[in-house]
Amino acid sequence: MASQHRRSRLVPRIIALATGIAAVAALTACSGGGGDAGNSQYGFDAAAQDAKAPITVWVDSSREPIANAFKAANPDITVNVETYDGNSGGSDSFKTKVALFDQSGSGWPDVVFSTQQNDTSWASKSNNGGQPFAAVLNKGLLSDDFLTGFTKGANDPMTVDGNVYGVRNDLAPVVYWYNDTLMKQFGYDVPKTWEDYQALSDKVAAEHPGYILGSVGDSFQGPYIYYWGAQAPIFQVDGDTFTSNFSDPNAEKATKLIDHMLANKTLVNDSVFGADFVQKYSDKVLGMPGPAWYSGALFQNKDSLNAPAGSWGAADPLSWSGSDKVTGAVGGGVWYGSSHSTNLAAVAKFLEFVTSSDDAVKLASGLPAYQSAADTWLTEQASSGYYVGDFKSAITTAASSVWNGWGYPSFSAETAYASIIVPGISAGKTQADLVPQLQKEYDNQAQVQGYTVK
Amino acid sequence: MPRHPPRAKETLITISLTAPAAAAASPEAGRRREPRSSARRRPDRSQTRIGYIFVSGYTVLLLAFGILPTLYAVYLSFTKDGSFAGVDNFVKVFGDYRFLPAVAHVAVYLVFYLASLLVFVVLLALLVHGLGRRWLSTSYRFVFYIPGALAGASSVMLWLFLLDPTVSPVAFILRGFGFDNFVQTVSVDNLPIIFTVIAFWTGAGGWIVIMYGALNNISGDVLEAARIDGAGPVKTAIHIQIPLMRKWISYMAVMSLAAGTQLFVEPRVLSQASKGVVPPDYSINQLAYLYAFRQGDFNGSAAISLLLLLVAGALSAIFVFRGGLFERD
Amino acid sequence: MSATSIDARAGRRARVAISPSRWVSRALVTVVLIFFVLFFVVPIVWLVLAPTKTPRQLLLDGPFSFGAFDTLASNWNELMQFQNGIVWTWIGNSVLYTGVALVVTLLVTIPAGYALALTEFRLRKALLVITLIVMLIPSTALVLPIFLEMSAIKLVGNPLAVILPFSFFPFGVYLTYIYFSTSISKDLLDAARIDGAGEWRVFARVAMPLATPVIALVGFFNLVGNWNNYFLPFVMAPGRKSPIQVGLAELLSNVPLFNPTSGASITISLPVLALATLVSVGPVLVIFLFSQRFLVTGMTAGGTKE
Repeated sequence: MASQHRRSRLVPRIIALATGIAAVAALTACSGGGGDAGNSQYGFDAAAQDAKAPITVWVDSSREPIANAFKAANPDITVNVETYDGNSGGSDSFKTKVALFDQSGSGWPDVVFSTQQNDTSWASKSNNGGQPFAAVLNKGLLSDDFLTGFTKGANDPMTVDGNVYGVRNDLAPVVYWYNDTLMKQFGYDVPKTWEDYQALSDKVAAEHPGYILGSVGDSFQGPYIYYWGAQAPIFQVDGDTFTSNFSDPNAEKATKLIDHMLANKTLVNDSVFGADFVQKYSDKVLGMPGPAWYSGALFQNKDSLNAPAGSWGAADPLSWSGSDKVTGAVGGGVWYGSSHSTNLAAVAKFLEFVTSSDDAVKLASGLPAYQSAADTWLTEQASSGYYVGDFKSAITTAASSVWNGWGYPSFSAETAYASIIVPGISAGKTQADLVPQLQKEYDNQAQVQGYTVK
Repeated sequence: MPRHPPRAKETLITISLTAPAAAAASPEAGRRREPRSSARRRPDRSQTRIGYIFVSGYTVLLLAFGILPTLYAVYLSFTKDGSFAGVDNFVKVFGDYRFLPAVAHVAVYLVFYLASLLVFVVLLALLVHGLGRRWLSTSYRFVFYIPGALAGASSVMLWLFLLDPTVSPVAFILRGFGFDNFVQTVSVDNLPIIFTVIAFWTGAGGWIVIMYGALNNISGDVLEAARIDGAGPVKTAIHIQIPLMRKWISYMAVMSLAAGTQLFVEPRVLSQASKGVVPPDYSINQLAYLYAFRQGDFNGSAAISLLLLLVAGALSAIFVFRGGLFERD
Repeated sequence: MSATSIDARAGRRARVAISPSRWVSRALVTVVLIFFVLFFVVPIVWLVLAPTKTPRQLLLDGPFSFGAFDTLASNWNELMQFQNGIVWTWIGNSVLYTGVALVVTLLVTIPAGYALALTEFRLRKALLVITLIVMLIPSTALVLPIFLEMSAIKLVGNPLAVILPFSFFPFGVYLTYIYFSTSISKDLLDAARIDGAGEWRVFARVAMPLATPVIALVGFFNLVGNWNNYFLPFVMAPGRKSPIQVGLAELLSNVPLFNPTSGASITISLPVLALATLVSVGPVLVIFLFSQRFLVTGMTAGGTKE
């Protein structure tokens, strides 16, 4: 009997032992990742460095060419290029993937490209006790010389308390693109104000139905092109306070404009990247307000509009007549370096290459954020004669008139727009019907993220 | 219950479809045999020892991946940053503006899903069972069962193609409903039906096979008697076959109910594919995921997971203790 | 319905009894069955044929048309070269996780079921009831709690964090329990014991030879369930450690149809995505096809249709 009691206590003992072993294993695994004594030559706790370590780079498919160009130009550095969705549409995949790696304590990429500008709000902070993902770039990693070469204000969204956490890939101010050939053919003038734009839409609807003046089918168009460009305070952050006001006069004017043009069918609800758009409208676009990178994405892209040289031009952005001449901006992606990287020298080289090298200019689809690269790109565009009119002047004007009243909270304006407005318009509702819901959703999302909503 | 000692192969078959009922058989069978042999055998030490050793591996896993996570989730959901927080996490979760809509979404989906299973699975099992030719009935069941190989993300990927009117082979059906593009097909109002269709396509086959086996267990004498009484196929189905299948039908209902509340893969992949038109917080499990990974709030995530776990656990316990698992036929 | 088949066997009476209403009901049954067959089969056929077409053919030709083997080869190359063969990495991960988990499951589950069925020990009944309850809880319900637990002991990202939960298979234990308790009588074991065999030998010599069907069954369900599991590996094995199911969803970010971006140098076209989907379920599909006999056909006997 005694032995039976002994044996029946065996099972719980085995369990305790197993758990103990697991715990010890876990602890040893833990201490392995802790790193050496804080390597603070870069202004943050870097891991032990290894000049030969491979680096992993996350890019979206548009940035893959430049990553591969770096690979080709630097055969001595092993670069693993991985594509992901680039955080487009505010999908937050960058944040959730890094959160997963934070949990496992290893496996972070060394460089990440994000199409959003608000990632610094979380990447510069410690999540659940771990080290902030984004490496500080201006305290030793990248030279001051290099950093001052960026266009003024380009790196502002990534600067927190004097620390720069990311470098800007491109600036994406909104200009007014117009199809010069068609405009001359129909005898129209290029609009200068939103009012002109609306009036033009009426003329087009009456005289040349079927021709379009823009799209709101992508979730970035409504908020960034139309509302931001209309100086509408629908997405504002002040410290920890968030406000969204669709009843502001500018916002209401923008809403009315969108509804008016949806009704007369000069504004469509198809994504400009969909196969549909190209099929239906490739030679029917009379003009559209859009970011600088439409240049490479739509006009000079053989899989998209593929416009012949000399047919399109860029004009100064639209604004309300009698109001400030401001415009919106659609992105301008950001490159982040990882604070966990074991080859920061390679990371620095990579960051410099993708923003300022000749290849960067060659492969740029929009206005580079690095000043010298931007100048070269603009000159090349102008001298190639691809665009008619004063391309350089339009882009430069736009770049310096982006309205600085737009907010960069820790969530994107696109997610709510994608789930409420885009399908709502598709189902036949009007913008005016849908914006109260959108405002409520913005407020709710802000609250969940911890902002005070006013 | 088979009257002769079952051979291995038939036992295999009997397991798969009569597992719930057989659970009743064995403890009783065991008990029936014990009085006879108890005189000869007492619970002896080496048996006990080997019993413990044999279950030790499984018990460790059960503790590590069944009991402990549940307890840990309980701990997390009642604390915040290590200190006791009462029901704060639950209050926060219930008050979250996304919680009730997510519950509503899942509830509507469950209604559609269960209805489709209860109606169509039983119907198809009856129809296939009634076919005269064996090879035909086997082929039908095989065809119904094959989509089960694509469970998970793969079936959603396949349905992405099927739901996009521009590429789908059944585009004419979509356009017939008035959907001209993908965005229209996956509008929030259509989602319960879409998820039902996907879940049914993947899961119905397995249930049809099980129901078919259940139908086979109905003794031919009963059916013969019904036929002699003049009952046609429909009457036989309604008054004889379905009532005799009710244990398995309720098994199917409970399992599907428990699985349906955990909806995650389908809305997640669809949300990715539709670039946000399907919201990333459509289902309750998605919300728990967002809490953990987007908001870094593990306590809130644990609270939601615990709720889902409780629902599944309650359904399961109810079925185990009351669902006819331990009742005689 | 069974009445009809009994009738048919009765012979002459059946031939006389086919009336118009029977014809209509037979036709109705056939229509319903054919409709559902199409519902279940058309997507699979489309999926199997899609990788043989070019994107244009996929859009314009009919769903049942066959493209060309050349196209299939080029689609295959495109898929396998994507991101330096990451698809192979994903498949390798799936094989690793599922394969090791299968071995561990069988090692752990079969003895446990045997013990629950044929030995006596104090916690036996309780363990059985707990197994029953946990068995009916869907595995997705436990994913986030397991994740939270794994992250507390910093095991996230370790293959064990996927393999061990995969090896926890209460349904398998229950199946084994039922199998052993109905196919082996305790008297048989006692006879062996009286002959002087120790418990291990009893298990090895009496139970194991009879266990092949249940090993196959438990192995099958475990393999299929784990290969297709999305949620658990999604949170436990990020990045290059993902199995193919999780990796498949990541491919979406490169398909222009679902994630339109500009100037992509490497995109995944639809036929390639279809091929990826097919590859991700390939092993399970093959297993289904080969176990068709014992799964679907076998499940008919054991009843009264002698």
